[in-house]
Amino acid sequence: MIHDSILRPKLITGEKTLHDVTTEICRPIENKPSTSWKVGFTLAFAFLGVLGLTLTITLAYGIGTWGLNKTVQWGWDITNFVFWVGIGHAGTLISAILLLFRQKWRMSINRSAEAMTIFAVICAAIFPLFHMGRLWVGMYWVLPLPNAFGSLWGNFHSPLLWDVFAITTYFSVSLVFWYLGMIPDIATVRDRATTAGRKFWYNFFSMGWTGSVRTWNRYEVVSLILAGISTPLVLSVHTIVSMDFATSLVPGWHTTIFPPYFVAGAIFSGFGMVLTLLIVVRKVMNYQDYITIGHLEAMCKVVMLTGTMVGLAYITEFFVAAYSGVVYEQYAFVNRATGPYWWAYWSMMTCNLVAPQVFWFKWARTTPWFIFMLSIVVNVGMWFERFVIIVTSLHREYLPSGWVMYSPTIIEIGIFMGTFGLFFTCFFLFAKFLPVINMSEVKSILKNRE
Amino acid sequence: MIDKKLFLDKNKTVIFGIFENPETFLSTVAKIHSKGMDIIDCYSPFPIHGIEKAMGLRRSLLPVGAFMAGLIGFLSAFTLIYYTMEYDWRIIIGNKPTVGISYITILFEGTILFTAFGIVILFFIRNKMLHGKNPSELIDLRQTDDRMIVAIASDNPALNKQELTEMLFKGGAVEVKERTNIDYEEFTEENLTLISPSNSSNESKFLNNNSNINEIEKHD
Repeated sequence: MIHDSILRPKLITGEKTLHDVTTEICRPIENKPSTSWKVGFTLAFAFLGVLGLTLTITLAYGIGTWGLNKTVQWGWDITNFVFWVGIGHAGTLISAILLLFRQKWRMSINRSAEAMTIFAVICAAIFPLFHMGRLWVGMYWVLPLPNAFGSLWGNFHSPLLWDVFAITTYFSVSLVFWYLGMIPDIATVRDRATTAGRKFWYNFFSMGWTGSVRTWNRYEVVSLILAGISTPLVLSVHTIVSMDFATSLVPGWHTTIFPPYFVAGAIFSGFGMVLTLLIVVRKVMNYQDYITIGHLEAMCKVVMLTGTMVGLAYITEFFVAAYSGVVYEQYAFVNRATGPYWWAYWSMMTCNLVAPQVFWFKWARTTPWFIFMLSIVVNVGMWFERFVIIVTSLHREYLPSGWVMYSPTIIEIGIFMGTFGLFFTCFFLFAKFLPVINMSEVKSILKNRE
Repeated sequence: MIDKKLFLDKNKTVIFGIFENPETFLSTVAKIHSKGMDIIDCYSPFPIHGIEKAMGLRRSLLPVGAFMAGLIGFLSAFTLIYYTMEYDWRIIIGNKPTVGISYITILFEGTILFTAFGIVILFFIRNKMLHGKNPSELIDLRQTDDRMIVAIASDNPALNKQELTEMLFKGGAVEVKERTNIDYEEFTEENLTLISPSNSSNESKFLNNNSNINEIEKHD
């Protein structure tokens, strides 16, 4: 048996029995949805409607409905794409990297974080797909099929195609990992089911799971292998996203610091969003005993560390630009901080580098409402980071004749707001129909301490 | 190969010990295994570490399958890029090499993709899991909730049924059931017979545990 220090707080508080865990986590699935769920879902669904409307307008009239121009070809679309992909990093990071590091506190948050990953990647995929304009034509070069209008194939030397592969792989592997982890819990819901519908669907998705030790034994092997391969995968995804920029010749993008800097930023924003969601979930669904202050504190530490790493990268970029002696690079960075988009730059600096430093104080790390506010700040800051990188670098071309300003149209704003609708609609459905906390893993750590 | 034992002969009697405490469950399983009894399988709502050793299970060969799947992924990705970018229609950009570093990403992603799907598909095949399949062994509906079950083949002469039942109750079992196999897949709840503990000292323990169950059920 494992011997833990009695001084450390328990991972799961409230002296739960195995049966308590089952009943409490299955409660939202078995009961009628609460009023707060209905209100939240309706609101999210309304925003999803906005997404449908704005995307239809985009398809009907073309990309001209967006504020892009010949200098700023990537605006809110790619900003939002990188933003959502970044958010999608926490889930697999929590379930894979923390599994390899044997961090047991991951067990009560990994399910919802993985769900968040999947929904965020779906939201992210919308932007590059619709940016292609006639996306049904674009499919021919995104997927490895011969171009219907010539004899060319997709260019496998291009980071844009690498990105397609990276994100598709990441999405599918995360989905598999998420589903595999959920099978034992779906079986638990199946065995408690009282209605015919629940019996049928949970039986369908539980794939005949009985909890046999032979199966568990293999399940653990598979989890470990999936964690092992997901760890480099998580790191690779944002590395490759950063290569979309880093392999170009645009001043401010053409830098080797991008991969580690993007990965740190992705983890930072991912944990920011996990905190935003879980602080609400633990309160509304009454899961304070499962997602304890200890869990929040651990996540705050990750946010602080990665926020500082991102901040260091911002400063390093300046140094490298100055040291390189390239006037275009130097101008790009001076223009970021003092040019027409200075407000975006300083919002980014404040939200990402300065704000997370409050987590040095224990009070800040252990006060849920404060962490919630800070997590929103982190989300905003990371959105601005992508906006700064993309728009401020593009709006000043090499030739001053190409210098323009960019502002989004109402359609672009609508699509962005709409993806939040999609994200939260998915999340509300997840919270209603699937166990939000990994029951089987939580049951194995009931007696463990941090 | 291990699973051969699972497909029991017809008319073979299986004893099920049902537990509610993972620690006593683990030690009892280890004890029964060390007596030389054939443990067909155990069922638990969560992975209990060390039970595979207590039961005498061998290491899974799934990692080998994962490696093979990864290798297939790597080769498929290489074939795809090499065929399209080198053999069918070479694209030279900026006079850079057409075979080289730019392959790494797709090779990496292809390997990961195939490994992940390969291992999970092999896992499903190995466990005979399929969407919509009914669970083959549900001895107790709470085996996915809070109960652990050990299934023991009772035809081993090392312990007779009586001794085995007593050992299970002494080890902390809350219930012991037995079943004679008619057909492995066609087993139903009705085939199970509840065995009560034989002597009075065990009986009191049994009743105690039973009252605990009632309490939990009331708590619902």
